[in-house]
Amino acid sequence: MLQADGLGKRFGRSWLFRNLSFGVEAGEVLVVRGRNGSGKSTLVRILGGLMQPGEGAVKLDVGDRRRGLSLCLLEQSFYAYLTVAEHMTLAADLRACEPRTKELLTKVGLADAAAKTAAQLSSGMKARLRLALAIQPDPRLLMLDEPGAALDEEGKQLVQDICREQATRGAVILATNEPEEGRLGQRVLQLG
Amino acid sequence: MANASSNSDSSLKEILAVFRKEALGEARSQTGLMTAGLFGLVAVVSIAFAAYGMKLAGTLSAGLLWVALMFSASLTLPRAMLQEEETGTADLLRQWSRPHPVYWGKTLFNAALMTFEGVLLAILFVVFTEQTPASWPLLLCATVSGCISLAGAVTLCGVLVARAANRSALAAAIAAPLLLPLASLGVGAMRSAFGDGAIVQGWQLTGAMAGYATTLLAIGPYLYAAVWKT
Repeated sequence: MLQADGLGKRFGRSWLFRNLSFGVEAGEVLVVRGRNGSGKSTLVRILGGLMQPGEGAVKLDVGDRRRGLSLCLLEQSFYAYLTVAEHMTLAADLRACEPRTKELLTKVGLADAAAKTAAQLSSGMKARLRLALAIQPDPRLLMLDEPGAALDEEGKQLVQDICREQATRGAVILATNEPEEGRLGQRVLQLG
Repeated sequence: MANASSNSDSSLKEILAVFRKEALGEARSQTGLMTAGLFGLVAVVSIAFAAYGMKLAGTLSAGLLWVALMFSASLTLPRAMLQEEETGTADLLRQWSRPHPVYWGKTLFNAALMTFEGVLLAILFVVFTEQTPASWPLLLCATVSGCISLAGAVTLCGVLVARAANRSALAAAIAAPLLLPLASLGVGAMRSAFGDGAIVQGWQLTGAMAGYATTLLAIGPYLYAAVWKT
């Protein structure tokens, strides 16, 4: 499903990481660990095609990227003037999938916040919206970057449930330092 | 065949979704309309005060109206691309969509916004400066054609500089060669519309502006695709 060969990323003269090679197959949860600044978020962005690697290449076999690959990024911004429900509709229209707004917002605990604009959401609510948007198209590969960082205990449990569900229909790459989330992985990639 | 049709349906839906998002943002924030509206109104009223009791020559009117149109465009249109990069929402579009539909959605919205602003500005200009255009249809067509060209040029400029480190210098370097030929065509067409030139020549220049707009709109998506993930 995903094959990374000799990945490296350099900022200025120093390499953040180098020579990373790994693959992810359906049914797998790969956990990426590492201290702060070790490059977990950068690696997720490179694997998700949002950033070019300094060296190496990523091969993806997920069909149409818009639906086959979903990212849940730690610092993903939203459109301040759009409501939660409008974000779901916009994402669905762009990805050519069903919005499933009510179903997904109920699942992540945002059913009562559907009419709120992104500017009115707390950081925990934004994290829940990121999760709802990430699972909206039933992706083959789901990449999560510290998804539980802004969440309460109930939210962290939700992340684990989503990862388990996703592993039954595709694969997960989970960048985290949370011990509970780390136990979901069959393999661990240690950075730094 | 069915696959191609479904792909074009999907692209159309994406374009409309981006257009709707831009329109919602503008309707709720009114940043573009307010900025351009305020600038346009102040420019037109200042010109009217300065020329009070005088009959402005067609050539001068054409130049002044074009200056107002170009600055209105420069103030509002690049935001469509730059704001996405500055606020980090561009990553959402990169995850959910493809470069061509995003480009078309944003450019169509910019063209619609600029045409609305431009026509309003042209009418205000004529009313406040007490002009009597030699040809209203030519003035309106030159304004609409010029506004669509401006939207194409400024959006293209925004596309190319949005992810650059030194945006201001790059924007100036890219905008000058894109806007100067357009200004030359636009001023020529409007000069004829205000009675300082042959009407036929005005229509020819308006046609040339439409051609310029078509060229910009045709190359825009490919340039945007090239900078989409760099």
